[in-house]
Amino acid sequence: MDNAVSIKGLRKGYKGFTLDNVTFDVPRGYIMGLIGPNGAGKTTIVKLIMNLIRRDAGEVRVFGLDNLRHEAEIKSRIGFVYDVPRFPEDLRLKTIASALAVFYDKWDEARFQGLLEEFRLPPRQVFKKLSHGMKMKFSLALALAHDADLILMDEPTAGLDPVFRFELLNKLRALIQDERKTVLFSSHITTDLEKVADFVTFIHQGRIVFSAAKDEVLEHWGVVRAKSEGLRPEDVPGARGHRRTEHSLDVLTSDLAAARSRLGEQAVCDQASLEDIMFFISKGNARA
Amino acid sequence: MLKILRLEYLFTRKQILIVLPMFSAYFAYMASQIDSPRVFIIATSLMVGLSMPLTILAREDKFKTASLVCSLPVRRSTVVLGKFAATWITIGIGLGYALLFTAVLPFAKVAVSEILSAKTLLISLFLVSLVFAVILPFTLRFGLTGIIILLVACQLLGIVVLLLTHFGGGARNPMRGLLRAIVGGLKTLLYHEPTAGFLLALLAAVVALIALSFLVGLALYGRRDL
Repeated sequence: MDNAVSIKGLRKGYKGFTLDNVTFDVPRGYIMGLIGPNGAGKTTIVKLIMNLIRRDAGEVRVFGLDNLRHEAEIKSRIGFVYDVPRFPEDLRLKTIASALAVFYDKWDEARFQGLLEEFRLPPRQVFKKLSHGMKMKFSLALALAHDADLILMDEPTAGLDPVFRFELLNKLRALIQDERKTVLFSSHITTDLEKVADFVTFIHQGRIVFSAAKDEVLEHWGVVRAKSEGLRPEDVPGARGHRRTEHSLDVLTSDLAAARSRLGEQAVCDQASLEDIMFFISKGNARA
Repeated sequence: MLKILRLEYLFTRKQILIVLPMFSAYFAYMASQIDSPRVFIIATSLMVGLSMPLTILAREDKFKTASLVCSLPVRRSTVVLGKFAATWITIGIGLGYALLFTAVLPFAKVAVSEILSAKTLLISLFLVSLVFAVILPFTLRFGLTGIIILLVACQLLGIVVLLLTHFGGGARNPMRGLLRAIVGGLKTLLYHEPTAGFLLALLAAVVALIALSFLVGLALYGRRDL
């Protein structure tokens, strides 16, 4: 498969946190969600792709090109949306756009104006007077106005109301109808990813737990529920984490079919949602 | 690099318009008080040159726009080059503005013709380069907080030097010897005959200082996590 982004052995150390040996690919023409609890390392990965922070080791290739050696060329093909928009707050939207547009050869002013209109953003409005949702819309308009091949977004839906989240996710879905376009976005809102992502990469405490097609994950991962005294976590095939309460034991498994086959009626086996997976991996007794 | 300059201008022009009246008042005051063309040009260059990185960096720190600029399709070296160019262009424009001001102010003590000599301009340029060779890389790496720490540290160093000069060992005080050497070097610089060789040496020193400062700035900014 042709990859838009290919990451191998990526490492970045901070005091008290290390992103370690991160390896995954983002196939071209698809939406990949980078999922994980707060502080898992999602933003660090996004920043490393954009070369906003220095990596300690590893390799990042975007469209087959090394992101350090071909920095400018790669960035001209990326539409980047920050978790918190970083624009001078006292400037008008049209001034900000005018300052940034000249950096992109493929900047399409008509498309940008169309997006402003679609998002109901007045060009003469001062940035700081926009709501958080409107600020994200403006960021998105900038990211989409230069025909980027990769849309890279860091927590774009955090703090947004459901209506705009729905609009944004629809926009992303429409975007990849053009098979050259790829979307990689980080989020801790699992329902958003379940709606639109084709692939999911789960990160926890700086390490990749899995990176796979979303449907495959939802098909194979499950939650096994049994009475507390009847089952031990190690009895469940593919156990990846568990939560014990006074009367019950819930076990997350990455091999739902094997668990069903071995446990039969001894336990209830359900498909896991991404939220279940995130909860068990980050809060339960995980076996990553 | 022109795109970066344009961006810096668009992002800071509001700020420039705000500080312009303050500069005008400062230039008017300096022109009315200082009768030495060299002191005048150095004081105004430092004021203008210091204000530019401070203005840009204060806004960069406030709005975290450094990561925005570095997410654009440009190399970090171009960003650094843009900041150096912006600073020197501002110094140039600021000086032009100061000279124009001096020319039209009836109470100015310095004549523009006195300032516009090759020696005066080059000596001023050399001294300003010396200051910015330290300040610019430092501010690029550590931001506004860094420059404030640097300026405070310089003031504390000055106080320590003064204390050591006054209370340490009388005529044989090594600190006094050091200060005398610095003053002697400055006097040689100021009163040397403006021969072609001297002027060329000054120009070469200015170019070398700016180049060195740029390379250090580049290395430091390249390592900055945004």
